[in-house]
Amino acid sequence: MRSSLAAWFRDEGYVVSTAAGGKQALEQLTGDGADILLVDVKMPGMDGLELQRRVYELHPGGASRPTVIIMTAYAAVETAVQALKEGAYDYIVKPFDPEQLSRLVRKAAERYTLLSENQALKQRIEAAAPHLITSGQGGMGRVFEQLEQVAPTETSVLVTGESGTGKELLARLLHARSGRRFGPMVVVNCGALAQGVLESELFGHERGAFTGAVGRHRGKLELAHDGTLFLDEIGDVPPKVQVDLLRVLEERVLTRVGGNTSVPANFRLITATHCDLGQMVERGEFRQDLYFRINVFCIELPPLRQRPEDIPLLAQHFLALFNAQTNRRIEGFSAGAMASLCNHDWPGNVRELQNAIERAVVMCRGAQIEQEHFPFTAATPDLSLSAMEQAHIRRVLAACEHNVSLAARTLGIDRVTLYNKMKKFGIDRP
Amino acid sequence: MKVRLRSLGSLAPAADVEHLLRGLPWPLSGQDEGPLEIDSTPCVDVVRGQLDAACLLQRLPSPPAGEALLVLTGHDLFLPALTHVFGASLLGHRRGVLSWCRLQLAPTPDPGLGRRMLIEATHELGHALGLVHCPVTHCAMHRTLWPEGIELKQPDYCPICRDLLRRLVQ
Repeated sequence: MRSSLAAWFRDEGYVVSTAAGGKQALEQLTGDGADILLVDVKMPGMDGLELQRRVYELHPGGASRPTVIIMTAYAAVETAVQALKEGAYDYIVKPFDPEQLSRLVRKAAERYTLLSENQALKQRIEAAAPHLITSGQGGMGRVFEQLEQVAPTETSVLVTGESGTGKELLARLLHARSGRRFGPMVVVNCGALAQGVLESELFGHERGAFTGAVGRHRGKLELAHDGTLFLDEIGDVPPKVQVDLLRVLEERVLTRVGGNTSVPANFRLITATHCDLGQMVERGEFRQDLYFRINVFCIELPPLRQRPEDIPLLAQHFLALFNAQTNRRIEGFSAGAMASLCNHDWPGNVRELQNAIERAVVMCRGAQIEQEHFPFTAATPDLSLSAMEQAHIRRVLAACEHNVSLAARTLGIDRVTLYNKMKKFGIDRP
Repeated sequence: MKVRLRSLGSLAPAADVEHLLRGLPWPLSGQDEGPLEIDSTPCVDVVRGQLDAACLLQRLPSPPAGEALLVLTGHDLFLPALTHVFGASLLGHRRGVLSWCRLQLAPTPDPGLGRRMLIEATHELGHALGLVHCPVTHCAMHRTLWPEGIELKQPDYCPICRDLLRRLVQ
């Protein structure tokens, strides 16, 4: 029977190997492995159930675990049922109906392929997770700590920071390191949409809810089910939508615009803003209850000027990125170009730096990027020792959040000397 | 390649056998040689009420060189692992057996039986001459597991199988 079945499956296009008993099968499995095992219940030495247990010990889970199909005589169906309880995919009673046998093995093969693809996709998702480019010093070290703490939880996170500091990237990192990473991540820029459109975008609408609603539309909140919803520029959400959003966050169900049925909405909320939401609450521009809901855990991204040590790292990263995109081989930055980058204030933060490097890569015709490739270096930078000293003190003070004692310790001078230098360079405490 | 057609047990409807003999594709040429005188009793499984195709193939006489033998039977055929088969062959040994038992989908006279028998005879003779199953769905060498599926095939080989067969026969 073994050889006739082997011939049968070879004809179907499968790669087949046979074993006379459980022990021999195990030896073969540790060598070549197999995707599908067709196992007889009664075998000399080791029965089919025991073989299945041993195989599952070798492969406790995952796509590499072979799919077991039990072959049994009609009288031993109870044993086959036991095998099913222990994890077998299915069983088939001897003698086999050719059609049934073919269908069963084809389905098992399809299942195995799906499991393998699923695992491969998960690995690709893990590998494609974004990462922050930073030395980890100063304020970014704290951001990393907070990220590690809060990412695996279900806590709502509010990300604050100036425009261009990487709030969406941080949100994607939070999603990628959470248990919901294989679910969807839905991004909505609340600042870019008018109230009516935002309402429909977030909550969806039923057919005929308003003029132009020709069909049912699932909202972003619904699409984020079992995943993460990232609401960028939450400070721009109008009061009416704030109320509706709060209700969804409290009840975890939503109702589409123009609808009357409740739809489950299980998502993790990450919000971001460049505004001071606390002040907006005080001015009555943002609901306090919603603020408390979204601000369970707050991560503040420092502006680029407060972490100048990251500028060379980011510049190299963007250079490599744009080299790859434009098929160029620019080796690096001249000393003057790098000094220009480090001395610039970067009001547009990382986004501005990225754009500056992209432009420089387009402009550059040599082996390295020079000062003149940046638009802000039209004027020759002041490279005097005094100017460098002043810039360095400003940077350290900013990194230390203007704590003079801490800045003095960082600079390796005493507090009085630092005060004198601040007075000399006209640096005021904020 | 001359094909000697022999019958075992009850005879197939004459019109259908005639259709089969006329329709065999190149390089096959059929000739009805009448009943086969062998003792098939050891191949009968009384419990299953079927005939063991593997056992029967072992008992068939070897055809003369340059010829093939196809036995037509009304017995329901099986292989030990399977509930039934439409036919069976010894790969490359120029011997095959075909049952019309499961090919008959309507009471006699079944208008489609002759065509189904022709297609499956072409299939089994292909095996008997050394061909394996073919992925081309309309090729006679494509595997079908149910009688309705036979209707999707043609009573001929696809160009690749025909080319292989030409070399095998030569």
